[in-house]
Order: sequence, then C-alpha cells, then structure tokens
Amino acid sequence: MANKISTVSLSDTFTAGLWNENPVFRLLLGMCPTLAVTAAVKPAFTMGGCVIFVLLCSNIVVSLMRNLLKPHLRILMFTLTIATFVTIADLFLKAYIPDMSEALGPYVPLIIVNCIIICRAEACASKNGLAVSVVDAIGMGLGFTLAICVLAAVRELLGTGMIDLYFFNLPLPKAFVPWVVMVMPAGAFITLGLLLGLVNKVTSKQT
Amino acid sequence: MSKVKFFLQQSWLLIFASFTFGLLLAAANAALQDKIKQNEQNKLNKKMAELITDANDFALVLDDVVIQLSKSKTVKADVYKGTDAEGNTIGFAYIAEGPGFADKIKLVIAADAKLTKFYGFKVLASSETPGFGDKIKDEFYNSQYTGTPFGKLELVKTGDDKKIDSEIVAISGATVSSEAVIKIFNSYTDKVQEKLEAKGLIANGK
Repeated sequence: MANKISTVSLSDTFTAGLWNENPVFRLLLGMCPTLAVTAAVKPAFTMGGCVIFVLLCSNIVVSLMRNLLKPHLRILMFTLTIATFVTIADLFLKAYIPDMSEALGPYVPLIIVNCIIICRAEACASKNGLAVSVVDAIGMGLGFTLAICVLAAVRELLGTGMIDLYFFNLPLPKAFVPWVVMVMPAGAFITLGLLLGLVNKVTSKQT
Repeated sequence: MSKVKFFLQQSWLLIFASFTFGLLLAAANAALQDKIKQNEQNKLNKKMAELITDANDFALVLDDVVIQLSKSKTVKADVYKGTDAEGNTIGFAYIAEGPGFADKIKLVIAADAKLTKFYGFKVLASSETPGFGDKIKDEFYNSQYTGTPFGKLELVKTGDDKKIDSEIVAISGATVSSEAVIKIFNSYTDKVQEKLEAKGLIANGK
C-alpha cells in the first residue's frame, strides 16, 4: 500500500511540472530565458537541457543535505549549489557546443538566478526525499524545456519562415514573408501572451 | 572559545560545501579549459582564414599592442601574421574590441602585408539587437570594409556603399552599432601600424 501511494505521488509530481504547475505557462517562473532565448528552437532546446541538468543536480544535493540545513543559511546554500552546477554547465557548453554557448551568451550564467531552480530547491528538495526531488526536477525541467521550445518554434517559424533543427528543417511555403518582429523582443512578449491565453482557455474548460 | 564553537556549529556545512564545490569547479575547469581555449583559437583561425584567403598559416607576432579604449580603460591586442606556403607575408589580422549598443563588440580585423588596405572584418562576439545592430555581420555593411584604404574611417548616413573609400555607409536603424565598429577600427589602426613598423614586420615582407 505504501509503495502504491508512493508511486502515485511520484507520478503526480512528474506530471505537475509538465502541465498543472508548468513553470512557464502556469507559474510564470523563469521569464528571463523564456523571453530572451526563444528566437530559435536550437538555443531554446539547449537552454532547456542546461536547466534540467542544473535543476536535477541542485535538487539532489539540496535533498541530501536538507536535514543539515540551518534555516537562515539555506538560501545561501541553495545559491552556492546552483552556481556550482551552472558554472559546470557553462564550461561544458563552451567546450563541446561552442556555437550554442555563443548563441545563449549571458543567459547560461543567468540560470543561477532562475526562479524555477531556487523555487524547486525551497518548495520541494528541502522538504522531500531523494526520489521525489529527482522526479520533481525532471518533471519541472521537461515542462520548462517543452514550454520554451513551443514558444521558440512559433517565433522561429513565423519570424524566419522555417524551423532549423539539427536533424531536419521545417520550411513554410516560399510565398510566406517572414514576420521579423517575431524574432525580436516584441515577438517574444506577443507569442508568450497568446500562448498563456491559450493555456488559460484550455485549463478553464477542464475545471 | 564558545563564539568559535557557535560559529562552527552554524557554518560548518557552508564551509564544507564551499570547499567541495570549489574542488568540483577546479576539476571541471582543469578538464575542459584546454578544449575551450582550442575552440576559441579554432574560431579565430577560421575567421582569419576567411579574411586572408591566400594565407596558409597564422602566427602570433605581437601581443603587447596597448590600445586606449577610454580614459580609464586600456586593452592589449594580439596581432597575427598570415603567411603563404613559401613563408611570404600575405597580411595581418588583429583582435579588436570596443563598446557596442548592447555590450562589447569583439572583431577580428585583417589588412594586407603592407598595411595599405583592409581585407575586412569578422565578428568574434557581439550582442547587438537582432534585426538591427546585428546587421554589422551582413553583406551590405561588412563588404564595405573590403579593400578600404588602411587608415581612419568615417561613418556617413547616406552614400554609395559600393564605392571603395574610407567612407562607410551606416546601417539604417542601427547607427550606434555602425559607429561602434568604425570606432573600433579607428582605435586600433595607428597603434597596430606603429608597432608593426617598429618591429620591422611591414617592410620585410617575410
């Protein structure tokens, strides 16, 4: 019985990040990378990968040391932990995917101040065991990645007339004139607003 | 004594974590730093080869050209010599930087062996506005520098962008970025020429 409850709980934890508590569309967390790196799918996907790595590692470390944390020092410990893994992710990108490191610019180091990661450390990892923390990190990380990739796909398709991925390109008909505004900051706000409206419409029908 | 004990009780985890994470970062840095430096050098070599197409090899000839970017800021520029298969100097390329609209712009600028004309420039790093300032990489603006006389350049808002002279036509809607590139060029020209002449690298040809 205990195992069954635990399994259900893990499954709920995982799916919460994907939809009900999606960090971008439902909690409106991590808006800086959401708006800044979604002009194209490739950098958005890379950013998502970095966030999953940092979220997973920080949740594991915070969960393991949760019983040792002094309340007044916990934010300092979270920041220290997150900064370490962000720096490792940044070095890894510079070494093995330099094009993406260049495209993402300062937004990889800025993951340190990404609200999603510190929020999950505070709300989940510092209060739960390792399994829940890991599943929460994967669910939230995937939810964030999917959300910014959807946003990036819309912006890139309309802004450049095609989606350029590693393994295939999805072009629009040649008659389509790209809407340059979509790859600019204004396009990020417009697309995010429309997608938020759509998500709200869908969820209001569900409830 | 009790104060020390209290301090350690409160902060031992923080101290331990700082050391552990510090070691982790040092290990990651040691493992990846060579690869990162190699990537940067490969990128620079690729850009220099695109600018000085006849050169087979690039060698660092100067690393102490001091450039005054502002009253309080100076940088040191690296100058590379491009040579062909016989060892003849084909041109020089140097890394140049300066403030742009959004952030620092870093360029590699190339000129011929006698410093009479520019071969052009390539952007190594910039965070200029997409659709506007980042057009400094585009053909319209970039090609104006190819063949331009080596010396001070001037930005003009209207003119013939096909004409090869020291007047560079600005990008419409991105005057600040256009001007930033001109300023970077002008900040480096005299100093690089002076240092190369002082070392006798221009006159020798080899």
